[in-house]
Amino acid sequence: MAKTPDDQRLELLQGTLDMLILRTLQWGPRHGHGIGQAIRQQSDDLLKVETGSLYPALHRLEKRGWLKAEWGVSEANQRAKYYRLTAAGKAQLSRERDRWSQLVHAIGRIMNPAPGED
Amino acid sequence: MKPDDRELDDEIRGHLALEIKERIDRGEDPEAARLAALREFGYLPAVRESMRQVWYSRWIDALHDQVSDVRYALRSLARNPLFALTVVGVLTVGIALNAAVFTMLKSMALTPIAGVDGSARLVVIFGETGGGRPVRLSYTDYLHLRDNDRAFASLFGSAPARAHVGRGRGARPIWTELVTGNYFDALDVRAQLGRALRPSDEAAQASEPVVVIGDRLWRQDLGADPHVVGKPIVINNTLLTVVGVAEPAFHGTTVVYDVEAFIPVTAAPRLGFTFGTQQTTAAGILGDSLATVFYPQGYLRPGTSMATARAQAQALWAPLAAERTTPQDVQRLRVVPFWQTPGGAPSYILPTLTVLSSMGLLVLLIACANVAGLVLVRGISRRGEIAVRLALGASRTRIVRLLLVENLVLAVPGIVLGTLAARAGLPVLVEYAQWLAAPERLFFNVELDGLVIGFAVLIACGSAIVSGFVPALRSSRVDLVTTINEDASPRGASRGRLRSALVVAQVAVSLLLLVGAGLTTRSVEAARRADTGFDPTGVVSIAIDVRQNGYDEARGRAFHRMLLDQMRADVALDSVTLAAHAPLQMQDTRVYRIEIDGYAPRHDEDLAFMANMVGTDYFRTLRIPMRAGRAFDDRDDADGASVAIVNETFATRYLGGPNMAVDRRLRLGTGEWRTIVGVAADLKYARINESPRPYFYLPLQQAYQPGVVVHARVHSDIPGDVNAAAALERAVEHARARIAALDADLPVLYARTMADQIRGAFIFLDLAATMLFIFGVTGMVLAGLGTYGLVSYAVQQSTHEIGIRIALGASSRSVVVRFLLRGLALGLTGAALGLAAAVGVSGLLRAVLFGVSTTDAGAFSTALAIVLTGVAVATLVPAWRAARTSPLQALRQQ
Repeated sequence: MAKTPDDQRLELLQGTLDMLILRTLQWGPRHGHGIGQAIRQQSDDLLKVETGSLYPALHRLEKRGWLKAEWGVSEANQRAKYYRLTAAGKAQLSRERDRWSQLVHAIGRIMNPAPGED
Repeated sequence: MKPDDRELDDEIRGHLALEIKERIDRGEDPEAARLAALREFGYLPAVRESMRQVWYSRWIDALHDQVSDVRYALRSLARNPLFALTVVGVLTVGIALNAAVFTMLKSMALTPIAGVDGSARLVVIFGETGGGRPVRLSYTDYLHLRDNDRAFASLFGSAPARAHVGRGRGARPIWTELVTGNYFDALDVRAQLGRALRPSDEAAQASEPVVVIGDRLWRQDLGADPHVVGKPIVINNTLLTVVGVAEPAFHGTTVVYDVEAFIPVTAAPRLGFTFGTQQTTAAGILGDSLATVFYPQGYLRPGTSMATARAQAQALWAPLAAERTTPQDVQRLRVVPFWQTPGGAPSYILPTLTVLSSMGLLVLLIACANVAGLVLVRGISRRGEIAVRLALGASRTRIVRLLLVENLVLAVPGIVLGTLAARAGLPVLVEYAQWLAAPERLFFNVELDGLVIGFAVLIACGSAIVSGFVPALRSSRVDLVTTINEDASPRGASRGRLRSALVVAQVAVSLLLLVGAGLTTRSVEAARRADTGFDPTGVVSIAIDVRQNGYDEARGRAFHRMLLDQMRADVALDSVTLAAHAPLQMQDTRVYRIEIDGYAPRHDEDLAFMANMVGTDYFRTLRIPMRAGRAFDDRDDADGASVAIVNETFATRYLGGPNMAVDRRLRLGTGEWRTIVGVAADLKYARINESPRPYFYLPLQQAYQPGVVVHARVHSDIPGDVNAAAALERAVEHARARIAALDADLPVLYARTMADQIRGAFIFLDLAATMLFIFGVTGMVLAGLGTYGLVSYAVQQSTHEIGIRIALGASSRSVVVRFLLRGLALGLTGAALGLAAAVGVSGLLRAVLFGVSTTDAGAFSTALAIVLTGVAVATLVPAWRAARTSPLQALRQQ
């Protein structure tokens, strides 16, 4: 697996971590480590989530009722906390997805204006 | 589900295990993998903390911080127990004194009537004569007001009256209140047994009179008999039916007196009570508009102001005023709050309590300055610790908070101990007052409640913060480099200034307290030395009331005659006499309206004076000098010419002086004219601090009184104090035996030396002075300790400087003088401020002072001397010690 050097990694945009976590959990429950790995792998190593941000975010989402946590046993034979998307979490994900597309669209129009608009 | 700390740890551990496994799977060395995983994870406690913070809100965290602050404070205080104990001690004293005074003030100001919440809101109506003398209203006037009034929810009346419960030798004097039927309803006081009085009891004059008794009477005299309701009880030789027992907390509306029975006012004539005038028959007094009975009082209706009530009272009075033309009659009505009831205890106790409260706060101020000094000194010696904390990144706010928490931690035991001390001390004070007043029963409504504890908490935390804040700010402003290197001079200019300010403040406030204590102490001395106008030493007083055994006037006179004859035959007694009233009993006796032949009163002048009915030898027995004319003698009996004796003030004010007074005439109301045969010197009649007032005497033979005091003077040629006291005791016992021999069933109301009897007159001054003295001494001791601590610390800090001076050739004497001057300069500044303040505020003490000017030079100079001596000692001792250390040692010590 090609490792991206640290200086080429992208900073996560403010407020997108929650959305990424919700999205990652769409395919089934995972533990915190797994979520971090999934984000890294699916972004081709461009995004790396700091544990210092990931875990507080997981707890924040759990507290809001978008995630539900259950204790299980991990591949390392250790107690691990598995997070699962709740119905409220799914609704929140779709809301965030919409907001994200609007944001991308809006920023795109500013950065790459259509010809004739300048 | 809120995760606990263990779950957070588990989750982190799980993550690390996965990361390590993954790295090992990738081929990393297990140890390297473990370290890399840890490194990648970041600062573990911080991550865990931010996970926790998702679940626990900020204030819980803040609380957590506080708890750790408190824990830290406890640990650091435990390392310095002497400091902790001193601060706790100082705060305890300050809080105890303040809690005690506040308890009294609260009771008097908020609940003057025990057992009646909000009784301070009662409003009282009284009449005023043309001369401005407050008078009670008659029963008929009360009825007029009650039936027409709209301002009061319910207007009731109550007249305190002495009575006797029981018959014969077992009878006991008690205080009763003659009340209207709506009394209990209006006050919302219930009966714990049976029923309270009701309006029908007031109307039912024909049937057997009823009484509601107090808890104390029920328990002490009736053995708490559960079937007491419906049983008869003898009061003033009259059978009354007990209909109920009042709530235990209720002691009547006569503040400070313990009222033990409540009798419908309409039954008063049957029990032998008379009001005001002499002309009306006992039965007629309730219909007599001149018979003054009580001050009507009650709660105002909701929404009614005092002004409205006043206007209404005037309007109701207008038609009645038209018929009352003489200046002695009530000319107008006054409507005042309860504490201003004329002659009521609150009207003279409240001002004193106000003085006491201010002194209490001064003591607290000194305590604060004291604690501030201690905290400051401790802060200086903790600079090292504080500097390290600052260097490690603690914010100043955090350090100040920590130091404040330490002070608050110290306040807690201060609150507990202070409140406990107040609780233990108040009963002692009350007992002292009751002992002084014995055998009169007093009741003080002092109870420590939530309000007092709240007050204690408030002042404790307030003083902890006040005394901790400035020093904490100072301590937190530490120069890191110099402190950690520990080579700079510790005497920062600003810190020195704060210390000086504290010394000046303590000296000033303690001077203020000492002046207060000095003034009151001198006032009590003055009262003790005061010329009462008579000589109580060597005199015994025995009180009897022949009505107690049902004597009519003829039998009463005969009994008095026999008793006098027998006692006069006793060789141990020099002279014996009878009188209707004993002097200095703290209460004005009834006043008589008189007319003076040849004196035309101004249109608003009100000639009404107190009088005494006395037997022959009265003036000789009490050693009251005659200024002119003669004393009463055997000529002045029932068949003799009507005569009177007036006092010097009377003669001077109305008759042109003692020598002009003899042979002039006066008469009571519209009675027969009496010739003035003599002028007696003035006495203190009711209180030690009264101003001279007109007074007159009638011969007992010409104005029979069933209740009399026998005064007997023991022969003065008995040598030695011990024998004199024994002779007095013997005289008291002989008198008792003689009365028992004449009539075994006649109770002796009291029999004691006259010195004991007039002791009550000094109670109030004594109590106030005792408390002020305690406050003054406490304040001074606190201030002395505080000043000593601060000054000696300053000197100790200057050891280095002293070493240099001595090394450079200064004598140790010059060093001591130098420090002494520095200390005295501070002391004098403080004393000057204190003196200025004392002159300014000592006027407030006027209410409790007697015979001393509020700027009494003696009190001021004594206080000044004590304070300056204190400062000098506090400076000298440490300076002397410092000067004696060798220069080398002093220089090394840093």
